[in-house]
Amino acid sequence: MSDTNLSTMATAAPIIPIPELSSLSLGFIPLLDAALLVVAREGGFFMAEGVDVSLSRENAWSTLRDKVAAGMLDGAHMLAPMPLAMSLGLARAPCETLAPVVLSRHGNTLVLSERYAEGMPSPGQTSPTDNAHRLRQYLDQRRQTGARVPARLAMVYPWSCQHLLLRQWLTLGDIDPQSGVELVALPPPRMVDALREGQIDGFCVGEPWGSLAQHRGLGRIVARGADLMPGHPEKVLGVTASWARRYPATLAALIRALRAAANWLNCEVDAPQRTLEWLALPPYLDHSIQHLDQQTLSSDIADLRLGDALRPNLPDFTTLAGQMQDLLGQQGRQIDSPTVEQCYSAVHFDAATHQ
Amino acid sequence: MPQPLKVLLVDDEIVRAAMVEEALASEGHAVVCRLANPTSLNDMVARHQPDVVIIDMESPDRDTLDSMALLHRENPRPVVFFADQHDSDALQSAVKAGVSAYVVDGLVPSRVKSVMDVAIARFESFQSMRLELDRARNQLADRKRIERAKGLLMKHQSCDEEQAYRMLRKLAMDRGQRIGEVAGNVIDILEQLSPGQQEKGK
Repeated sequence: MSDTNLSTMATAAPIIPIPELSSLSLGFIPLLDAALLVVAREGGFFMAEGVDVSLSRENAWSTLRDKVAAGMLDGAHMLAPMPLAMSLGLARAPCETLAPVVLSRHGNTLVLSERYAEGMPSPGQTSPTDNAHRLRQYLDQRRQTGARVPARLAMVYPWSCQHLLLRQWLTLGDIDPQSGVELVALPPPRMVDALREGQIDGFCVGEPWGSLAQHRGLGRIVARGADLMPGHPEKVLGVTASWARRYPATLAALIRALRAAANWLNCEVDAPQRTLEWLALPPYLDHSIQHLDQQTLSSDIADLRLGDALRPNLPDFTTLAGQMQDLLGQQGRQIDSPTVEQCYSAVHFDAATHQ
Repeated sequence: MPQPLKVLLVDDEIVRAAMVEEALASEGHAVVCRLANPTSLNDMVARHQPDVVIIDMESPDRDTLDSMALLHRENPRPVVFFADQHDSDALQSAVKAGVSAYVVDGLVPSRVKSVMDVAIARFESFQSMRLELDRARNQLADRKRIERAKGLLMKHQSCDEEQAYRMLRKLAMDRGQRIGEVAGNVIDILEQLSPGQQEKGK
């Protein structure tokens, strides 16, 4: 081989810039779909990319959002609609935010208390519409017997797929989400207790909380998000646009590490089991998953084998933005497509992964 | 004197809540406190109809308030304070102090600002109080450890107290550690060498 060839090869080799930040902190909410971040940290995938990432457990989505906006967290495990809501300034001062990686798709369950779920077959045996109609009948009966208090259903946050899914499901049963029920927001780890205490009659939330309510005999899963919005992006990594501009190499390192973690989940046979063991560690899901059926959990984890689905694809997010628009239209607000395109652009993902 | 406001305070930290409540009450505001209360926040807000809700940022109830701001059409409708403002410094200082607030739509911002300033100041002073307390606790623990390490050294090396202390200080300087940390190491090592001492020490 001649010298010329060698030097051409050297210049052709990809030069991976060193991350600007050697250590950083990402927020998460205790949910199974925080798994990819946990795997990337515990499996050493972040370290392999030269970033030491600490994961900070947060108590509420709004707090996680405010900490990212204020720069107290470098980024976070976010609900898919959240970066758009932040960019548009819905519920707080506007803060341009990006979703450079998808962390999970679907994985939500709709749970009703035992009393409400009576006579409802489990999702595998019926369509979501059927169970929604059954709820409608039950609500009608209740009204006729003079019950004053409407059913109270919980989701996790106004700008969440759980909220959109719940509204979609209610609409399938001809129940007006505005007047037919009362909707409230609760953080995921509080759902099961609130159901037991009778504060709520049902909820829509990510796993493991739906399975846990069912396992404890407090409620039953009556519909799954996957049947209502197949393949919808559920969680994303969220960072502010200004953070992404300041630390482009760090962002690229995070993206590559998450993709490596996803590949590991795809390829290793014992990956779901290992992931569950990591998730059961105190800072993550702690004891909450201990009593759950390992089989179900493993298949939930296996659902996180995203493969190419890590890349943000605009059509999915445009659909999501359309559903948010339906909600916002009532307040006379308009979502503009350039903001949607910027929020969910795959440009960072492609730059980091296309060698 | 400006019209007093009705403030709902949501904070599980009893001492801090008392500090904020006292400060706001002294300015004439009516304060309703909600500590670790099982009543749902929706019901609390419906019952008390506060003008302002001040809430600890670490409270899991924050999302409930965020959603009331979006979903509920009735009056008074809470909205997130600072939502319409682009005053990032004020927002930053509130987030740093760990305070968030929700106000009734249409309330004059300057009136809420004074309530926020009071809450932020109390949250900050509580924080420094707690740091101070932690420091004092550490100092006390260090002092106890040093005493114990000196005792063990005196027995083990048959030296006097002054010499034992000098040994500890030299170790600390050599290793660039606090004397309290070195004392901890010395205790660990010497107690392992002679486990019987441990029983007597207790």
